[in-house]
Amino acid sequence: MQLDGNVPGGPVAQKWDRHRFELKLVNPANKRKFDIIVVGTGLAGGSASAALAELGYNVKTFCIQDSPRRAHSIAAQGGINAAKNYTNEGDSIWRLFYDTVKGGDFRAREANVYRLAQISNNIIDQCVALGVPFARDYGGLLANRSFGGSQVSRTFYARGQTGQQLLLGAYSAMMRQVAAGKVQIYPRREMLELVVAGGQARGIVVRNLVTGQLEKHMAHAVVLCTGGYGNVYFLSTNAMASNVSATYKCYRRGAFFANPCFTQIHPTCIPVHGTYQSKLTLMSESLRNDGRVWVPKNAGDSRPPSQIPESDRDYYLENKYPSFGNLVPRDVASRNAKEQCDQGKGVGETGLAVYLDFADAIARDGRDLIARKYGNLFQMYEKITGEDPYETPMMIYPAVHYTMGGLWVDYNLMSTIDGLFVLGEANFSDHGANRLGASALMQGLADGFFVIPYTIGGYIAGSSFAEITTDHPAFKDAAAEAGQRIQKLLSVDGRRTVDDFHRHLGLIMWDHCGMARNNGDLGKVRSLIQELRAEFWENVTVPGVERDFNQSLERAGRVADFMEFAELMIVDALDRQESCGGHFNEAYQSEENEAMRDDEHFSHVSAWEFTGEGSETNFHKEPLVFENVELATRSYK
Amino acid sequence: MTKSITLTLKVWRQQDPQSRGRLETYEARDISTDMSFLEMLDVVNEQLTLEGREPIAFDHDCREGICGTCGAVVNGRPHGPEKGTTLCQLHMRHFSDGDTIVIEPWRARAFALIKDLAVDRGALDRLIRAGGYISANTGGAPDGNNILVPQETAELAMDAAACIGCGACVAACPNASAMLFVGAKVSHLALLPQGHPEAAARATAMVREMDRLGFGNCGNERECEAECPKEIKITNIARLNREFLKARFFSSVR
Amino acid sequence: MNWFVQTVTSSVGKKAMMAITGLGFCLFLAAHLAGNLTIYGGRQAFNAYADHLHSLEPLVKVAEFGLLFFAAVHVITGLVLFYQNFAARPSRYAVTSSAGGRSIGSRTMPYTGIFLLGFVLYHLLNFHFVDKTGTTIYDIVSGAFENPATVAVYVCAMIVAAIHVSHGFWSAFQTLGANHPKYMPLIRGVGLVFSLLVGLGFGLLPVYLLAVS
Repeated sequence: MQLDGNVPGGPVAQKWDRHRFELKLVNPANKRKFDIIVVGTGLAGGSASAALAELGYNVKTFCIQDSPRRAHSIAAQGGINAAKNYTNEGDSIWRLFYDTVKGGDFRAREANVYRLAQISNNIIDQCVALGVPFARDYGGLLANRSFGGSQVSRTFYARGQTGQQLLLGAYSAMMRQVAAGKVQIYPRREMLELVVAGGQARGIVVRNLVTGQLEKHMAHAVVLCTGGYGNVYFLSTNAMASNVSATYKCYRRGAFFANPCFTQIHPTCIPVHGTYQSKLTLMSESLRNDGRVWVPKNAGDSRPPSQIPESDRDYYLENKYPSFGNLVPRDVASRNAKEQCDQGKGVGETGLAVYLDFADAIARDGRDLIARKYGNLFQMYEKITGEDPYETPMMIYPAVHYTMGGLWVDYNLMSTIDGLFVLGEANFSDHGANRLGASALMQGLADGFFVIPYTIGGYIAGSSFAEITTDHPAFKDAAAEAGQRIQKLLSVDGRRTVDDFHRHLGLIMWDHCGMARNNGDLGKVRSLIQELRAEFWENVTVPGVERDFNQSLERAGRVADFMEFAELMIVDALDRQESCGGHFNEAYQSEENEAMRDDEHFSHVSAWEFTGEGSETNFHKEPLVFENVELATRSYK
Repeated sequence: MTKSITLTLKVWRQQDPQSRGRLETYEARDISTDMSFLEMLDVVNEQLTLEGREPIAFDHDCREGICGTCGAVVNGRPHGPEKGTTLCQLHMRHFSDGDTIVIEPWRARAFALIKDLAVDRGALDRLIRAGGYISANTGGAPDGNNILVPQETAELAMDAAACIGCGACVAACPNASAMLFVGAKVSHLALLPQGHPEAAARATAMVREMDRLGFGNCGNERECEAECPKEIKITNIARLNREFLKARFFSSVR
Repeated sequence: MNWFVQTVTSSVGKKAMMAITGLGFCLFLAAHLAGNLTIYGGRQAFNAYADHLHSLEPLVKVAEFGLLFFAAVHVITGLVLFYQNFAARPSRYAVTSSAGGRSIGSRTMPYTGIFLLGFVLYHLLNFHFVDKTGTTIYDIVSGAFENPATVAVYVCAMIVAAIHVSHGFWSAFQTLGANHPKYMPLIRGVGLVFSLLVGLGFGLLPVYLLAVS
């Protein structure tokens, strides 16, 4: 089946205006008659809750954390893009649109990306009004920096904590609506099921993580803002609780999952230390502006870096990409690091790291200047590793960072289930096969503040809703399913811990569906996942009881979903016989190891439909048409 | 250099708010000094799970020191002995082989205990709800550059806004006061021109809510400042005092 | 509730009352100390100072009632704060350790305060509510300090007072909102010097009188 993205007609620059006019409106007096559930309180969920409540809807907002202020958007460091052109460098909405489509390796929907670029300016204005303390120039105007290899300085930032400040801005706007009685917050709740009644998403079943009780919540629409699934790899820069469960449960209820194999690997993370490692820490890629990446020329060279002379060092990025050098895009830098380590040239105790050396920069600019630019990053690195980057080169290695795939949504951000809207990282829509730096924050807030308030109105005004309560059979069935699954997890009583299984799954995914993928491996790995999943259900041990604050049980449920979802990623990766952005299939590369897209056959969104336990998932295609940005091959030579 | 150490842990275990809690002793063997404190607890929990015992409940999420979820009092120090560090960023290289470590939850009347080391910090959300925001509906904001904010002011506001809401200030305060938390938010918004219109109402409402929630009174003991993982200064508390007194005596807010 | 009552019964309001009354006591201490230094001038000087004070009778009465009112506010508010702060942490830590914020002054504030309340009552009974007919204040004072035990009590009390003031002085400024990176070091310095002056100035007087007796 071909999917229709419901993109409005007309020139790309006028689509959003036109669409907003064409969308039906809900009478202001009637808005209070409609309940909306928002799941997740990151940038997308927080801003959506606030904006919808401001319009008059009754909003119920759920989050897994103990407070809505802790969603993982908070960890974003770098900044947020906007096409303000405050720096007079010739930036424009069109240029931001163009860069984002190209950076996404031509696998995003043009109309969505254009809208994102248009809205980007309103986001900055709104956030300033909310009191986000963006960096300022001496005269008091907003400051910008260049980010992620962009040719113009369009990134707004608040030190290295932009995500935190934007999230707290959205959170404060939402808390104001809590005070106004328009938003009700349900913290420490995990969504376990979506409730679909009469073909419409009408509610959710959540587990109260403190009491362990299942709760049923009814609404007229459900807005999912539950983030990405990077933790399928166990080790990632995601927070510990980040998971795929909410989106995966919606997939099982009929929402299509789009491009699950598109994952972004960030090149500058602190390397893995040992098997106990629970997560990876990202360091801003701005480090590559001054740091030089190198490995020893000879495999197995175990001398400390200070004793390796220049002649025995290989500055492989500078040698291979003379014009971009250490500043090649994330995916290229990541793949090259892996390549070096695969050749046995990796450094550190595990051999899975490369050096990022500031010695030359310190010699050139002086220690003070380097400290001013990167002091907090150096401090963070030292805190974690115990090594001083002023004295000895940093060690870095790529880590899973962001997932471009997500639930398929149309131009209105509605999934294939009526009334189920998906925002932020949880949907697939704007970043194609690769996300540019400082674009995730932009998308989360765009979706929440400026898209969903209009499109949800169009849906509500154009739909009729049956009068139902949480006693409806659909609620009862969903709650029963959730309860049974919990009982099943608790009753296995095996000998391996949840984390042990998760780590195992993560290794399989990292080795075979990580930075580089090959058809042979992908073919085999599906059965590995199936075997691991079978073992999980026979041999996992989940201590404690259902009606309690039981963190092992929480994790068990999430890992069980990752086990199923991982297979979907493999199916998607195998299906996409090309290399693009975050998906690098070794069979499709140029002689210089660059990714080779196949626009003739794969210029589409792959959307997968659940067809039942144990049966093959159904493939759907949304063709991508590029009318405004010419298809081109990326080159960084 | 990576070393392996063995520690004796005395951990507060308490099934629920009603039951009595106590310190239980566990041995943490073969702990790599490269581990973070929470990874050390993970290892202990894996062991407990395999022994059929219930693992220690503790809150944590981002594990990079920004979400504010984690926190426990380690040998009497919130977030442990390192300055400007959250518990997740505390690494075991700061401990020695054979050390005994006492781990307790945040203790304050306003933070009800949930289980073991996990507490309910909903009171901090209620403080923000009381007025820790600027009333600006979505859509009507003027261009960001229409509001000039001197760089120094922006930096000061950012210093205050860096608060991660972990509650260590309350845990560290001998009086379990939330003045640093409230002071940071009131300062952040009072410093920025955008926050001026509501400054008086905000300071009044937040202090009132703080008193209602059962936090203690500030005694200027400065333990909050010394323990804050983001090193937020008590000048923010002074600014809160100023804003509050100004609001009470020189504004029309009742 | 009336806005004023609401303000002074709030946590910040109570602290502000402590700060204002506390600073009032600091002023009183300074004046009291200046007057007492006349003791070093001998019997005549001291008695002349006392007589001069008595000649300002109506003013002194106002000051006395003012001090009494300040004391009532300071003591009652202090006790309320002490109770509230205790109640704010119903279950205590098994291990407590300071990160370096607390000082001996801040740590002991309520206790030194209660001690000083007792001392002030004792002091007033000794020198204020005594029969002064047929004698001079100098004789009463020097007579009292012939007893080494009394001297010891006074010296101890002055050490306690110095500790109390060492935290109270800068803390009052902080509570009233006067903390500025430029001036705070000065305020802290003045507070320390002032507490030393109080401790030494008042503490040495009884010792001196004991020595010359």
